[in-house]
Amino acid sequence: MKSFPARRNTIVLTAVVLILAVFVWAGWANWEFRKQAAEKLRAEAAHGELALSPAGGMPQFVTSLMGKPAPAFTLADLSGKKVTLESYRGKAVLINFWATWCAPCRLETPWLIELRNKYAAEGFEVLGVDTEGDDLQKSDTAGWAKNKAAVGNFVAEMKVPYPVVMDGDSISREYGGLDDLPASFFVDRKGTVVAAQVGLTSESDIEGNIKKALTE
Amino acid sequence: MVEMRKLLLAAAAVLLFGACAAQGQVFSSGSPNRAIAKVDPVQYMFPAQVSVTAGKQSTVGLHFRIAPGLHINSHTPRDEFLIPTTFTIPDGSGVRLDSAIYPAGVVMALQADPATKLSVYTGEFTIQARIVATPGNHAVEGKLRYQACDQSQCLPPKTITVAIDVMAK
Repeated sequence: MKSFPARRNTIVLTAVVLILAVFVWAGWANWEFRKQAAEKLRAEAAHGELALSPAGGMPQFVTSLMGKPAPAFTLADLSGKKVTLESYRGKAVLINFWATWCAPCRLETPWLIELRNKYAAEGFEVLGVDTEGDDLQKSDTAGWAKNKAAVGNFVAEMKVPYPVVMDGDSISREYGGLDDLPASFFVDRKGTVVAAQVGLTSESDIEGNIKKALTE
Repeated sequence: MVEMRKLLLAAAAVLLFGACAAQGQVFSSGSPNRAIAKVDPVQYMFPAQVSVTAGKQSTVGLHFRIAPGLHINSHTPRDEFLIPTTFTIPDGSGVRLDSAIYPAGVVMALQADPATKLSVYTGEFTIQARIVATPGNHAVEGKLRYQACDQSQCLPPKTITVAIDVMAK
């Protein structure tokens, strides 16, 4: 028969083991939950990253949207008219995310205008998506009005011939977060993303991706 | 005795396994390797605490550091469409910002277009904030708004908190 101290020790140790087992189970369950939540979030949201080219040189922007349908959206242009991506099905489209405060974006705009005019007859269009108000509160109507005016002034000054829609921040998650501007997605006639760029590259780089979108 | 030793060993094994399982909560579950590290473009360095005379204007030098390779527009950018760097203190903190003296920007040309000149801050810079505080200790959350770029791309405008304890006697 066990002495009292030995029995007491057994009970205490058993309780400790049981409590630890509960902690381990809780830790495992939490880890599984967070893992599934992260995978769900990753599956829902597109993401992009720079991939180092095996041959060296500048990293290439690789988006998880490559080869997938460009996420649909409906945004208002400067006149308030609704513009949908779907309405461009059958055309190759360059979806260009930009902002007036982005100097590289302003530098590439003349290239986009020139290339749009060059390839329009072949069924190519540019869709400018302004992401002006990244840190504005939704209630800041004066701020949004100022942003819209700035976009309108730039579009008029540059004589931009293609549609420019506002509030690109509302669709940024679907397009990979858009932490960096300019960001361009090249979409073929069937609505599939065939190329993407982030940052100011060159007119010839942009033209190469336009040709890819037209011929895919 | 043998039974107690077995229980102790079992407890140790469970504790070790629990520690390993808990690590699963700390490490990210399969985040992809990224070639670009996410950095905070601008960080507030110091001071965290200042002593001033209550009711009298005092000048406090606020030190900031910009991540290497990036620049932010100065307080007076060369084009009106560019977002200037500005420092503010919200109302109701017990500390009033009378004025802020910003450093002069450095003129920088974009490599892609040397004709495009920008007035920017790079590296470290200091803003001289002229403040007036009511008596007492105030946990001030100033705001610095800026917009950062490198030579080919830009990050969205951002506002960071500049936390300073102001002790006014």
